[in-house]
Amino acid sequence: MSALSELGKLKGQGSKSEGRDTKAALVFLGPWLVGLVAITLGPMLISLYLSFTDYNLLQEPTFVGLDNFVRMFEDARLLNSLRVTFIYVLVGVPLQLAVALLIAMVLDRGIRGLPFYRSVFYLPSLLGGSVAVAILWKQIFGTTGLVNQFLALIGIEGPGWISDPNTALSTIILLHIWTFGSPMIIFLAGLRQIPHMYYEAAQVDGASKVSQFFRITLPLLSPIIFFNLVLQIVGAFQSFTQAFIVSGGTGGPSDSTMFFTLYLYQKGFGQFDMGYASAMAWVLLLIIGAFTAINFYASKFWVFYDD
Amino acid sequence: MKTQPTRRKLLQWSATAAASALLLTGCGAGANPAAEETGPVTIRFSWWGGDARQKATQKVIDAFNAENPNITVVGEYGDWNGYWDKLATQVAANDAPDIIQMDEKYVREYGDRGALLDLKKLNLDTSSIEGDTLKSGEVDGKLVGLVTGVATYCIIANPAVLEKAGVAMPDDSTWSWDDYKKIGQQVSQSGAGATGVGVGYSDQDLYIWARQQGDRLYDESGKVVIKPETLVSFWKNIQDLSKSGAAAKPSVIMENATASLNQTAIAKNQMGFSGSFNTQLTAYSAASGQPLKLLRLPGESQAKEPGAYYKASMFWSVSSRTKHQKAAEKFLNYLTNSQAAGDVMLTERGIPANTKIREAIGPKLSATDKAAIDFTDSIADAVRPAPPITPAGGSTILDILSRYTSDILFERTTPEKAAQPFIDELSSSLRK
Repeated sequence: MSALSELGKLKGQGSKSEGRDTKAALVFLGPWLVGLVAITLGPMLISLYLSFTDYNLLQEPTFVGLDNFVRMFEDARLLNSLRVTFIYVLVGVPLQLAVALLIAMVLDRGIRGLPFYRSVFYLPSLLGGSVAVAILWKQIFGTTGLVNQFLALIGIEGPGWISDPNTALSTIILLHIWTFGSPMIIFLAGLRQIPHMYYEAAQVDGASKVSQFFRITLPLLSPIIFFNLVLQIVGAFQSFTQAFIVSGGTGGPSDSTMFFTLYLYQKGFGQFDMGYASAMAWVLLLIIGAFTAINFYASKFWVFYDD
Repeated sequence: MKTQPTRRKLLQWSATAAASALLLTGCGAGANPAAEETGPVTIRFSWWGGDARQKATQKVIDAFNAENPNITVVGEYGDWNGYWDKLATQVAANDAPDIIQMDEKYVREYGDRGALLDLKKLNLDTSSIEGDTLKSGEVDGKLVGLVTGVATYCIIANPAVLEKAGVAMPDDSTWSWDDYKKIGQQVSQSGAGATGVGVGYSDQDLYIWARQQGDRLYDESGKVVIKPETLVSFWKNIQDLSKSGAAAKPSVIMENATASLNQTAIAKNQMGFSGSFNTQLTAYSAASGQPLKLLRLPGESQAKEPGAYYKASMFWSVSSRTKHQKAAEKFLNYLTNSQAAGDVMLTERGIPANTKIREAIGPKLSATDKAAIDFTDSIADAVRPAPPITPAGGSTILDILSRYTSDILFERTTPEKAAQPFIDELSSSLRK
């Protein structure tokens, strides 16, 4: 809001200086604008065009109309990849946010050495999407990895967490939950914003810790939860690295970790079906758009703004 | 109002800078090819492979560059998976490397689309390469890949594991798939802490199996012609190996399949037998710390037709859009025919297809390199012609086979139910 009001003030200052300011703004925005057009907008438009073509990367694209989109409905592997992605998002994101909130509340109670713990808990967020950690994950959850060695100590023979189609996706969801650091930092900031007097008043009235959480913390934190939810859902839909590395790029075993993005990649670069892959990218955009719209609409009913 | 002219100038400068940047890139794209006939040229050369190959290849490049001051060869390399993604993008972006290390599964994909130069147009000396081997790089009469070497699919045995398990080295001239299973069980149950045999489900394993059944995967026109029964028996054999305990349980099989060479069970001395190419003997032996042994494939003596064949291990291809045909020609001749290059590369890219080089590098070879060559020679009487070249789109077979095999091993489907869908899916992924 403040940026807009600043602009309003500037407008009042006569047209001459306004023109100069606009020019100056354009100069400073220039590098970013070039990037936006050349690296984001341009390729997006091209991919929109390609989504209506048959394009094998090596020969010129030929226009096929809605063919690619129609083919998607008959593609059982694509439908499976949607299923896998939805499970990943709908299970992974809420769990991750719950863990993030829990840890944030523990840290908010004013432990000594908070900056240290904050950094430690934030670390997985920085590393989680990285190739190195995905490789580490593959080792830890291997048939003879750390987890199974530990289970063997207490006499349990663990499954091949990553190489068994029944458990592979759960392992990747776990990796996602582990990267709770960035929503945690945001929660922590949000918790700090809640005025202490509410809790004091509640204590005077004899409210329990639990009801303080549900009646004070959650409502006042709801804008932050909403913000985290939107951000994490958008991010989770686009997850790629973990599944790519953990499955060795195959989405296996038995397509159990075949994310929508991974299938898109395989179609485009593995099977030279770039038209289809482009169409998939636009479908993903629509799905994420729809989810975000639903999120914003639903937020009217549960997000509480204090101001 | 001192600031005003400064700002205006700033705008003018930046506009000029932006415009010249655009012009400069424009110039770069439209570079004048005429200048390249005489002046120094740079050609790009890309390959996939491990560390040893990278070092050897760089040595060859350095030697070539030193001999040819007018040509600079620049190497680009990566591992198998990333290599093909990158190459596809480069070719699409009209930025293909001049010389491309090519695989049998992709040579049609690129050759059919005119991305590869007909090497017959170059003045290459191929006189020391046998006719049949040379022909393996032909697509519709055009030579789009110059074969680098030959490899043969076979079984690698780990003598240390067998000794520990108290199991004698089998006679590979007569052994059947049933023997393979029984010996595997013996190793697994010996208490040596090792798995008996590996389970292979690559395109090679399927080729071999089909050939032994008197069947084949593709016909000459590139159509999928394998019979469902052949696939059913292929998968039943795999299932049987796993269930009988000769091979590992499904999750371990899947894990081993995506492991890097050094991390495979046979390289870690935790497995008795595994399918592989004979040319990988040196790499596996190095990882295992002791010389491993090459054996013929099981079932060869009982089969309708022997499955083994000499496979072109890889090819050199030249981008059809290269602006430096002469330089590429010179470098390819060097790679193929110079003893200096042969002495460095040895069997890294297969047993050299150039028979003169194969003779000449003899004294330089390690014991395992020699064993690989001896193996190639020893099965000469039992090999049949190679199967037809993989049709365009056929490179997806690795993914498809892996998915169906995993579905079967984890009992999500049965071999009988999987056979026809496999044929349909492979057929539909081929390009018409």
